[in-house]
Amino acid sequence: MGHYYNIDDIIMEEEPILVSFQVGANGVGLLDPSSETNSVEKGAKVDLPFWLAHELFLRQAASVNVPSCYSQKTRKEIQADAACVDLRSRSPYFYELGCKVAPLVGDKTIGSFLRHAFASRYKEALSKAHGAALAKPPKYLTYLTKEESSLFEAARTSMEAFKKWQAGGSRLERASILGRKRKPAIGTHPSSP
Amino acid sequence: MYGRKSCQLLRELASAEPGQIPTFNNDLFDQVMKECTEHQFQLQSLMRKIQDEGLDIQTTRNEDHFGAVVHHLSLIRNKRCLMAYMYNRAEIIQGLRWKLGPVLPQEIQEKLNYLEEEYFKNHSAAIESYMAELDLDLTVDMVPPKDPYIQVKVLDDIGEVLLGDQSATLVRHSVHSLRRTDAEPFISQGLMEEFLG
Repeated sequence: MGHYYNIDDIIMEEEPILVSFQVGANGVGLLDPSSETNSVEKGAKVDLPFWLAHELFLRQAASVNVPSCYSQKTRKEIQADAACVDLRSRSPYFYELGCKVAPLVGDKTIGSFLRHAFASRYKEALSKAHGAALAKPPKYLTYLTKEESSLFEAARTSMEAFKKWQAGGSRLERASILGRKRKPAIGTHPSSP
Repeated sequence: MYGRKSCQLLRELASAEPGQIPTFNNDLFDQVMKECTEHQFQLQSLMRKIQDEGLDIQTTRNEDHFGAVVHHLSLIRNKRCLMAYMYNRAEIIQGLRWKLGPVLPQEIQEKLNYLEEEYFKNHSAAIESYMAELDLDLTVDMVPPKDPYIQVKVLDDIGEVLLGDQSATLVRHSVHSLRRTDAEPFISQGLMEEFLG
């Protein structure tokens, strides 16, 4: 489990998972859109966010299905040409979700499949990031998962920093928090601390 | 779906440009709090129902129990999201003191919640008292300068300021030679830039 305050971890756990209820539950009709009463019947199949699906699984109240993004179709596409597969549309947290789902569904092949996918895409992302200091390849970036785009961004900024260091220049900079926009006028001004 | 609003709150924080802080979303925050109260209410009424039926609350595993579990889990989830929202914003706010100095520009102050402004002031005071104790300004550039003076170009009409023991009038587009430690806060606030002519 990630850090309690980790935003990515929290958002990742919002990904929907298809579960089948092994028990009935009263007072939670909102979970099942097809339910006419305010309760979920035993055996109902509903999409739940991962955080809820996981806890219900641990209480043996629900069984978890393999999410469709780890289907045979995706696996075949990854085998054919890993770098060109649009993983973000399948799940922006493709790898993280896979790691968390694998122990719940008892599918031992997910782990090795994820490792293979990541390793073959990593090389491509890295070389593109280093080459693309100025002109971004916009199409390619939309295929990357959250993890991959932060790797891509890290490689790109380190390349930029290297070029800046090579060219020389001022070390002192305007604080990035202020954004790029410049204010037209200034009312009060702080005295130096 | 339960917990969707609280996650939306975090998505907002996550989608901000790196290093930027989005405006505190009072509206959504209050909606999540209301959702929590609703979960709490539902949880209690389900637990009361179990007790009214004369069942043991510890061992009963009926439909009411699992309904209560879902509400309980949703409460915990919402709590985690709200805590993470406050915590991650607090981290950014702490950083502001180091980057911008003890007084926040209006445009940033507007984005903070009242309590966050208090937090910033108190954090700032704590750093200042620590630096006073050390008798050392910790916010200056970490790399020792080759020259204690620096050429700067003024980007905005700053007016008269006190630099060291003398005052100077800083007009836009003028170039000055200042002590590095005096110039640094102005540069980080975007009022000056280093002049490399």
